[in-house]
Amino acid sequence: MSYVLAGYGVTAAALALYTGYLLRRERIYRRPK
Amino acid sequence: MKTRILGGAALVSLIATMAVGLTLPPTEEQEDFARLIAIHPAIAWVAYVAFGVMALGSLLYLIPATRARVWDRLAAASAEVGVVFTALMLVTGSLWGRPVWGVYWTWDARLTLSALMLALLLGYVALRRVTVEVDRRAMVSSIAGLAAVVVIPLNHFAVTWWRTLHQGRSLVRVSPGSELDARYIQAMLLGFVAMTLVYAWLLVHRYRLEVLEEEQGDVELEAAIAERRAEATEVLV
Repeated sequence: MSYVLAGYGVTAAALALYTGYLLRRERIYRRPK
Repeated sequence: MKTRILGGAALVSLIATMAVGLTLPPTEEQEDFARLIAIHPAIAWVAYVAFGVMALGSLLYLIPATRARVWDRLAAASAEVGVVFTALMLVTGSLWGRPVWGVYWTWDARLTLSALMLALLLGYVALRRVTVEVDRRAMVSSIAGLAAVVVIPLNHFAVTWWRTLHQGRSLVRVSPGSELDARYIQAMLLGFVAMTLVYAWLLVHRYRLEVLEEEQGDVELEAAIAERRAEATEVLV
């Protein structure tokens, strides 16, 4: 089961991190100068 | 345009996929390791789609009749999202391979070509960082993006053409009467829907970012030109 949980965990973490990274970059560019 | 509906649908379907996948009954052959069927084939599917969209965008940019910056941006956005999914395809595949095959990795045709897919995507993303001038960057990366697509049919049919540890094509097993249990087919299909929605949402946001980066580049370029002009005027005076 540990391999299964690792697979699901890595997937959830990677997608969450990349989403956060994209939204953060978008916010930086939209910040009023 | 708001993407909240798409984002919400992606999130809900992803959570549903994980809930359904993690509660699948164990199989006789693979015990509970078969639960990875809900995410691994779907991630691989999106990795292929992302690669295909990168190549299609590159092709449309290279054809003079359809050349527009939108295709180059689409290719760039899809390539970066594709890096995430291709890396996940390799990681989840390795985590499935270890208990079932006995190894995390082996250099057989399917696995090697999948690693090559990741290398090509990373190369494409790196190439876009080399040239700053937008039109030149679009042209160079479109040629690379289109040339790279040859790996997709090779990888798709690798399990048929060569002897590999990897099973045959997964989509063939979705047909009625296949040896795969209906619950497994449903979980796999739900995963396909969820990962496709996640990809679409990420693609839209990455595309927007590409536009913002280009605009920022233009602003910086204009500022630099104005600065040089001012220096030149000072020298003349």
